[in-house]
Amino acid sequence: MASATATGGSKTNLNTILFYVFLILFVLVSLFPLLWVFKMSIVTKSDLFQSPATTLIAPPVSDNYGTIFSNPDFRKALLNSAIIAGVTTVICLFFGAIAAYAIARLRFRFKSAVMTTILALSFFPAVAIIAPLFVLFSKTGLINTYWSVIITDTVFALPLTIWILVAFFKELPKDLEEAAKVDGATTIQAFRKVIVPLAAPGVFTTAILTFIFAWNEFLFAATFLFDANTQPVTVAIPNFATVYTVDYGAQAAAAVVVTIPLVILVLIFQRRIVSGLTAGAVKG
Amino acid sequence: MTTVSREKKRGWFKEEFGNPERRTAYYMVLPALLIILIIAFYPVLSSVWLSFHQATLTQTGSFNGLENYTELFKNSDFLDGLFNTVVFTVVSVFLEFIIGLGIALAINRAFRGRGLVRAAVLVPWAFPTVISAAMWRLMFQDQVGVINTIANNLGIISEPILSDRTLLLIATILVDVWKTTPFMALLLLAGLQTIPGDIYEAARVDGANVIQRFFQITMPLLKPTILVAVLFRTMDSYRAFDLFWVMSNRQLESLSTFVYKGVRISQLQFAEGNAAAVFIFVTAFLLALFFIYGLGMQTSTED
Amino acid sequence: MTEKQGQSPEKPSGRRINRKDFLKIGGAGLAGAALLGVAGCGGGGGSSGGSGQIIFSFGPDTSGSLKKLVDKFNKQNKGKYTVKYREMPADTGQYFDKVRTQFQAGGGDIDLIGGDVIWPAQFAANGWIADLSDRLSDSERSKFLEGPINSNTYQGKLYGIPWFTDAGMLYYRKDLLEKNGFKQPPKTWDELSQMSDKVQKAENLKYGFVFQGSQYEGGVVNGLEYINSYGGKVLDPKDESKVVIDSPESAKGLAQPRSFIQDQVAPLAVTNYTETESQTTFLNGDCVFCRNWPYMYALAADPKQSKIKTNQVGVAPLPAGSAGSVSGLGGWNFYINAASDSGKQDTAYEFVKFATAPEQQKFRALNGSFLPTLKELYKDKQILDAVPVIKLAGEALANTVPRPISPAYSDMSLKMAEEFNKEFKGDVSPQSAVKTLQKELQQIADQAS
Repeated sequence: MASATATGGSKTNLNTILFYVFLILFVLVSLFPLLWVFKMSIVTKSDLFQSPATTLIAPPVSDNYGTIFSNPDFRKALLNSAIIAGVTTVICLFFGAIAAYAIARLRFRFKSAVMTTILALSFFPAVAIIAPLFVLFSKTGLINTYWSVIITDTVFALPLTIWILVAFFKELPKDLEEAAKVDGATTIQAFRKVIVPLAAPGVFTTAILTFIFAWNEFLFAATFLFDANTQPVTVAIPNFATVYTVDYGAQAAAAVVVTIPLVILVLIFQRRIVSGLTAGAVKG
Repeated sequence: MTTVSREKKRGWFKEEFGNPERRTAYYMVLPALLIILIIAFYPVLSSVWLSFHQATLTQTGSFNGLENYTELFKNSDFLDGLFNTVVFTVVSVFLEFIIGLGIALAINRAFRGRGLVRAAVLVPWAFPTVISAAMWRLMFQDQVGVINTIANNLGIISEPILSDRTLLLIATILVDVWKTTPFMALLLLAGLQTIPGDIYEAARVDGANVIQRFFQITMPLLKPTILVAVLFRTMDSYRAFDLFWVMSNRQLESLSTFVYKGVRISQLQFAEGNAAAVFIFVTAFLLALFFIYGLGMQTSTED
Repeated sequence: MTEKQGQSPEKPSGRRINRKDFLKIGGAGLAGAALLGVAGCGGGGGSSGGSGQIIFSFGPDTSGSLKKLVDKFNKQNKGKYTVKYREMPADTGQYFDKVRTQFQAGGGDIDLIGGDVIWPAQFAANGWIADLSDRLSDSERSKFLEGPINSNTYQGKLYGIPWFTDAGMLYYRKDLLEKNGFKQPPKTWDELSQMSDKVQKAENLKYGFVFQGSQYEGGVVNGLEYINSYGGKVLDPKDESKVVIDSPESAKGLAQPRSFIQDQVAPLAVTNYTETESQTTFLNGDCVFCRNWPYMYALAADPKQSKIKTNQVGVAPLPAGSAGSVSGLGGWNFYINAASDSGKQDTAYEFVKFATAPEQQKFRALNGSFLPTLKELYKDKQILDAVPVIKLAGEALANTVPRPISPAYSDMSLKMAEEFNKEFKGDVSPQSAVKTLQKELQQIADQAS
């Protein structure tokens, strides 16, 4: 399949067609639910609960988008999400990359112990440790600040970040940094000048994973953040509701809006990954 | 606690610090380790401590050994949650792996619109779970649920999906597969990229066909990545909370929803909730050890 | 990036220093700072002295009337007191969870809680909310409706002041009933079943009757309404530590919704309905009857939410079982955080007095259809004319029964929600449901005492 690099001929043409059919099918399946959510966001509340469900779209209405954008808290929540996820990603990658480099490349005694600790603590169910963390953050004054969520997100994202990066770093050829060291570079310099640029595709993949993890996080944000000034979208969206009912139309609209920046972001990062790829093993 | 263990290590430290490379290594690992230790260590420890006591919400209470744990295994809700979680984890991770591998192999090549496809693939995963779970619930719902309607018309189901626990569990698995297959695919894709192309060329010259190349080159070389990806997905599924809680509107118990009920809603099952949390922790850890020693997962700590 | 963080909005004074220090240290020093913080300021949270500023928590204020209320109070008491409204999750379960986490962690910084009617016993038993018995004199107390006052009473003490109330009601399609020769809404559950069957068939509607049968708090309210209307009880009224749910009456009560589903008066899907689904089914014109709270009446007037018109909608007290008509009591009360210092508690009570005064309750009744908790307002002509559902709710309110008052109510609720839902679906018989609950609830009651 993947290993079969194209070498011309009619068999390849058929393969190409099949390949694209598969691709389109696959993309449709993953996007269908989102298209449906989009549909839910542009109908009136009573059409939303039209029964039985229909694919027909009554004249679209923008009410739901009006509802969410007239809500200043929602706009602020978008910004909050971006800040929390962005800072978490940067911190995670920074600490994760240096730790991963040490584990992948340097020799030291407690390597397994370090790895085990990092991995083990992330296995604890987050729901169980929220109350003690709440105390910790209250006492340190971090409660209701971005930091409370950034720190907890970092803790739960770091193990994965480190694991993936270790795998990436191990795959990189050793001779380059050894050459750098021969030229008089320190370990840190070798890491920064040689490893980091080479590992860029891996780093970007990891960045996306971390960013999305933090962007999706709900439990910590819902517990540690009290008001609209700090709350991210995952907390703001379920609040398009009253104590009695849920405003699914507005939630659908909000979900659509929240997804758009991510699509853009992924597209931007995609270029970097692709450029990393073409330089790598697989050439079309 | 951290200072104590560091004291103990002091003897080793001198030896280790004699070597500048090792010293640097410790400096590099320390920040990440400290962040994790400071934030997670105390709460985890306190949970473990409470699980051995007749703890209530406000008091640690008296020591009662393993009683909370034995109670746990008499609790039908917990056993329900355990069953659902195991089924959910095994089935969803298996499907995600198979589909994710297929996707990774397919898109690990140059083609038009590759960036778009990869972005499209990531969107389901980028969709916040609390929101997507609520939206999926609507799609499974009897009145407006497009999937319920289709399944009904096709004669696949005879009763509303949300009213039947088995169907609900299947639906939950499908949503998880939809949501996290991209994650799996992306991790595997990252692994595929580390396999040098000339190995394939050499194999081709030797006359190996696609299937042979796949099993003799791709799989062995991808094994470390596969194990990591599957382990992390397994850990996530095993602790799944949001999806169960929102999708099933609390009708379907998972291990984490049981913990949540005990620790954050109930007045009486606080100790049992903590015991369940420790149970998840320990079993997850054993599972990880199985991956490392049983399946030969590289921990990347060997030189 | 770090600078952006620095602009994160400020929270209570006194914490700022810690946070700034923390930011300065940053990076690897993070760990140390956190440790120092734990060792250094070991006191309870949220007692930094503000000049009469208190924090008041409540769910999202979609009607906008709450913000107006808070502004009015702040203006009236300028320089003296300030109330800050903090929005909490709309979902009552999540709201409860959030407040509980704060209490568990030593009190948190919320001084005044606008909370669900089912919370006070658990909060009071843990000493988390303040005893308000001495603040409300007997004569003042008698001005409030009895149901809400009772639900705020735990072990003879008053822990909350009723803010607005709620009662389950029967909505029906007035036009369709009349068309099919029914002049009156059903008086009993059996009558409802017959009427529903006839009208549904005659009008070719999708469903007859919908209620809230999902496994959640609302499902508990619905289940208890059936049980109570047939004379079943959860706790012995004479001795509240005794569970008495295992009775023929309770079983008969639970058999009622099950027979609705079996006779296809109600769809099986009702077992995953919450208020939202029942509401939309009714407002889309897909059913004849719907059990819901008073809020739904106003929605019928909005063509974007409703395919039927207000004049097609009738509202009545819930039909009776063999023991009469019973409505589940809902509503929201004010609770004061026992960990707040006494000055803040006083300020909080000032706001409670203000918000529960006739003038303000009337304002919220007219702007948002919130049911008042003062008896006199049910005679207020202006309210009754402007919000007809309040007049109708008045009758239902006379028959309200609160959910069991127990410090372990949240545990009982989880069990009841599960067992009721199973019974609605037909997974267990009514008899075995009440038998199971008898055992489980008694266990909970024993543990709680």
